[in-house]
Amino acid sequence: MPSTQANESDERRHSVLVIDDSEDVHRLLQARLRQENITLLSALDGATGLAMAEQEAPSLILLDLDMPDLDGFEVLRQLKETTSSRDIPVIVLSGLHSPADKVVAFDLGAVDYVTKPFDLMELRVRLRAALRMSDLVEMLGRLAHIDGLTGLWNRAHFDARWNECIADNNRHGKSLSVALFDLDHFKSINDTYGHPAGDAVLQSFAKLVKRVCRVTDIACRYGGEEFALIMPETSPADAAGVCERIRQELSEMHWPAHPERKITVSIGVTGTEQTVEIAPEKWLDDTDKTLYRAKKGGRNQVIATDIQSGNMIQQPSQPTQQAA
Amino acid sequence: MADLSDNQTSIRSEFADDPDMQDLVLEYINKMALRVEKMTAAYEQGEREQLIRLAHQLKGSGGGYGFPILTTLAGELEQTLLNLGEGGLDQAAEPFSALLDVCGRMAA
Repeated sequence: MPSTQANESDERRHSVLVIDDSEDVHRLLQARLRQENITLLSALDGATGLAMAEQEAPSLILLDLDMPDLDGFEVLRQLKETTSSRDIPVIVLSGLHSPADKVVAFDLGAVDYVTKPFDLMELRVRLRAALRMSDLVEMLGRLAHIDGLTGLWNRAHFDARWNECIADNNRHGKSLSVALFDLDHFKSINDTYGHPAGDAVLQSFAKLVKRVCRVTDIACRYGGEEFALIMPETSPADAAGVCERIRQELSEMHWPAHPERKITVSIGVTGTEQTVEIAPEKWLDDTDKTLYRAKKGGRNQVIATDIQSGNMIQQPSQPTQQAA
Repeated sequence: MADLSDNQTSIRSEFADDPDMQDLVLEYINKMALRVEKMTAAYEQGEREQLIRLAHQLKGSGGGYGFPILTTLAGELEQTLLNLGEGGLDQAAEPFSALLDVCGRMAA
């Protein structure tokens, strides 16, 4: 996933990796595709192409089949067996014209097959079509991870990224914190002012979280009126500071649909500044318990603890206004 | 087999007047002598696989640089060599000679 914010723009210049043993073909493509909004990357053999596909994560691969050592069929097979490259669309660009070669290439996962010598316009439109399809597939993948109401990442995305962040902490010992948010007495907002008012609260809170957190943080709607914020490379003390700002700003917000009613949030934060041996589920469970303490302690407050020691990072913040 | 009725005239690239391609075509032609040298060496030394590879590359690139006849003749040589099995390269003398003739007449 290229970004950490669900609403980040998809606009980007595509990179296209050409794997072909003929330098003439590379030069020709560089000249002929100059007008396209793409960056061409070049590999003169299959092994280099495989390495570049993994390192550069191109948007598309143009692949020759008849190459010495590692031929294009084998390169294609390996590309499709490798997690990081299996979703990269591959257009075969080959001098092999037989139907049998085409059948094998498509069976191995190629999205298109262009024969050499290629017609310039045909290659251009096929390349654009493949990139359009790739963009759509990527967009669908992103939408499957976005919460429709708030535009934040959804629970599925949270689960995937949380596991990645824990693994990163285990490998590199980087700081890591997570916060769980629960809007106080949210049910009564829906019951009293109707669901559109409740939805507006959820959307406004999501905007507030996105505005306050960093682009590297991962803001998610965890479910109902619960939200989660993963803060990579952030100490629990710093994470508590971010959450306190969110808590305070929310408590001071004016609500046109119900000006007499303030909205507050309870927040549980846990984190570490070193490598910890803890299962992702256990870490979340402990964070949920910290949130519960904030709730039990009177709501509208942040409670932060060190995930390893269980020690409180700061005293519970003093409510600026008691929740209704 | 391609028909080259007039084997004295030079063969110009279809992209000779394309400003985006002029330099590339010129470079392609300038490197042709080296390719001919490699193909001749492979032919004389009986290196069938190497000759197939060189012919295959010319087949793939010729048309792209505005020389479709190069693609046709290189393709014919490649196919002849593939059909030879492990036999001698003498049977490919005619398509090999035709290809070299065209390579020597290319012009920007």
